[in-house]
Amino acid sequence: MKLATLLKDVWQSLWRRPATEAYPLVKPETSARFRGQLHYNSQGCTGCCLCNKDCPANAIEMITLDKKNKRFVLRYDMDQCIYCGQCVQNCRFSCLSMSPEEWELAAAGKEPFTVYYGQEEDVKDVLAKFTPEDHPEAAPR
Amino acid sequence: MHTNEHTAQIEKFIIPIGPQHPALKEPGHFEFTVDGEIVTHASVRLGYAHRGIEKGVESRNWTQNLYLLERVCGICSHVHATAYCLGVEKLAGVEAPPRAQAIRELVAELERIHSHYLWLGVTAHEAGFDTLFMYTWRDRETVMDILEAISGNRVHYSANILGGVKFDLGEKEAQTIRQGLSFLEERTHHYLEVVSQDALFLQRTRGIGVMTLAQAETIGVIGPTARASGLARDVRLDDPYAAYDRFPVPIILDDRGDLSARVVVRLKELLASIETIRHILDDLPPGELTVRVPRKIKPGEAISRVEAPRGELFYFIKSNGSEMPERIHIRTPTLCNMASVLTLAVGHHLADMPMLLAGIDPCFSCNDRGIVVQYGGDDHDHWTWERLRQFGIDHYKQLESGVF
Amino acid sequence: MTQLIHLLFFPGGLFLLALGMGYEWLDRKLLARLQNRQGPRWFQPLADTVKLLSKEEIIPQGANPWLFIFLPVVALAGTLTAALYVPLFGLPPAHSLPGDLILTIYLLSLLTLGTGLAGANTPNRFSLVGATRTLTQLFAYEAPFLMALLGPAIVAGSWQISIINDFAGRNWLIVTQFVGFLVAVIGLMGKLELPPFDAPEAETEIVSGALTEYSGRGYALFRLAKNVELVVGLTLVASFYLGGLANPLAFILKTGALLLIIVGVQTLLTRLRLDQTVGLWWRYGALLVLAQWLMIVLAKII
Repeated sequence: MKLATLLKDVWQSLWRRPATEAYPLVKPETSARFRGQLHYNSQGCTGCCLCNKDCPANAIEMITLDKKNKRFVLRYDMDQCIYCGQCVQNCRFSCLSMSPEEWELAAAGKEPFTVYYGQEEDVKDVLAKFTPEDHPEAAPR
Repeated sequence: MHTNEHTAQIEKFIIPIGPQHPALKEPGHFEFTVDGEIVTHASVRLGYAHRGIEKGVESRNWTQNLYLLERVCGICSHVHATAYCLGVEKLAGVEAPPRAQAIRELVAELERIHSHYLWLGVTAHEAGFDTLFMYTWRDRETVMDILEAISGNRVHYSANILGGVKFDLGEKEAQTIRQGLSFLEERTHHYLEVVSQDALFLQRTRGIGVMTLAQAETIGVIGPTARASGLARDVRLDDPYAAYDRFPVPIILDDRGDLSARVVVRLKELLASIETIRHILDDLPPGELTVRVPRKIKPGEAISRVEAPRGELFYFIKSNGSEMPERIHIRTPTLCNMASVLTLAVGHHLADMPMLLAGIDPCFSCNDRGIVVQYGGDDHDHWTWERLRQFGIDHYKQLESGVF
Repeated sequence: MTQLIHLLFFPGGLFLLALGMGYEWLDRKLLARLQNRQGPRWFQPLADTVKLLSKEEIIPQGANPWLFIFLPVVALAGTLTAALYVPLFGLPPAHSLPGDLILTIYLLSLLTLGTGLAGANTPNRFSLVGATRTLTQLFAYEAPFLMALLGPAIVAGSWQISIINDFAGRNWLIVTQFVGFLVAVIGLMGKLELPPFDAPEAETEIVSGALTEYSGRGYALFRLAKNVELVVGLTLVASFYLGGLANPLAFILKTGALLLIIVGVQTLLTRLRLDQTVGLWWRYGALLVLAQWLMIVLAKII
């Protein structure tokens, strides 16, 4: 039985910097395996849609423009994504990856969260198909 | 005589704790009838955090469910996924490779460390020992960082996939884990000393909420709460899953059965977990990480049990041969331990209630399952899915038409 | 005119409130640093007060509205009046009369009494339990605390704070009456309901104790009263036991050191249950002080 068993820790703490992270001022380092924003590279994609099928949050939509010429566009809804990494696991051609650096994903509106990945002209074609009135969330910015 | 009884009924002083209360980190409703400061009766009402996960499971495919079930609990996310994966693998007739099983066990033990550290902090806070709370949560960051380094996320590690695990452990990761563990081991020894020697902390824990072995057996408690009463119940040893037969964990028992014993048992389990993780790292079996699991699982039923940080976690899985499960039932350890709080509460001080409650490490949203609707008096009614759905539709129609 | 300035700005009134908030900040900041946390910024107590004052005050159904509004005012007025009789900021007390020590101690008790009544006034169950605990604790620490402060009074041969202060300036009474000092410090912590004696407002048990139903203005006044009481209490104990308060520098150093001790005790100990608090006071506190008292009296006679 002792009194004040934490005395040593308390004494040390008096001379230590607080353990609190100064987050918005200093961005902490994340590990190399950290699962941040999803990235898609249409090169090598065969359009098998396995990423889309197993996505638990329906955050991915694979839009096939032309399967023969491999014209694919991936619509990614960051706000729905739960960052589980199942799509990356499912992709057999390593077209998908999650960035360990991009994780400060917050915005005042919903619009910045919808991202289209693919060849530039393909994305343009996809966006042209939607008129902003029908799909306000898909309007080009 | 009769009138006396009547007034006694009226003058019952009930302290409601919850659904919103600083002592409860999640919603639950407890009613403690007190005589001065002494509790004479206790009752509980659960179900405030019912999220319909079991129903949601039935409309997602086998892989998607992995992530839904991982979110049953934020603290023991990995054990839920492991229990589900083991069950589905049993149904599909496949078995994850040994390396994957070892990694599953490793993550589960790391998760136990983070859960027990969290619990120690919460208990210290309930006892009014905020300094210990702050220090344990500071040190807990170490294990969170380890988990982030090896899996990519601090809370939902998503280590499991059907038929194996997602990531491998290299020399670099092993080094990170070992470093973090040696720090944690030192701190755990220190905290063990604090909780078993600090006079004032012991005043709040020693001899409080004593549960005898016989009581523990009758109430049917599980996990560290049972082990603190000397009841040797541990799924990791009774029914080894994953790699627990290859890397067994020692069982930690204490026969005192009070709050202090529960604290000591959990802290000693931390040391046991650290030792086990070291064994796994030293002797990680080589080989593949995954085996193929078909998208459609053969029809059948399976049960799967794992030891969550709070006790035995039970999964029942039923497949009808399609891409989606027909039924999954989950029983979380809190539900089994909840009865012990109500039994032990009687005769204790009101001031001991938060600690008694914290002593079982409750996790309310995990244990809130079925829905029981009570309206008017004591009329309980079990609603069918259709009726509940119709009720919702009618309710919103009425809202729209502006009747309210 | 000068009296009005004394009363409203310096050393009473505004200055006292500012000092109280300063000491609250110091208490919170030190506590945080000892727990390895960041702690609040220097203006946090002021910001809290301004915010609370600007909030709507909700008077619960079933409570006596007059009492509900009146009690915080009484509590604050009591502590502010008590400040007139102590050597605040190292200056001679604004008022001094024979026997003002007893008066001060009872003015300080007004806060506890006000808190207890405020809790009993509201129908909230947490408030009721909190009120019971507050008043029970009052009965536990009040007598030992009073006896601990009367020790120096007996030695100095007067019950007038300024005279005791002068006497203490010549003799460090902490050396000769160590037990009395300990009991006084711990009694002060009990009075202020600081951990480990915070059972009356233990948030994990009874939310906020007697003040659970208070929000807005009433709560702000109670908080201010508590801050002022912290300053007055520190001044009293420091002037009696730590060699008197003769100038502002001595005031800052001595009360600061005392605050550091109090913060240290707050960090290191687990909250006591109410029965344990009462047991501690009557079994050890009161008896030890009584023993010391007897020794002082005997020494005086001989």
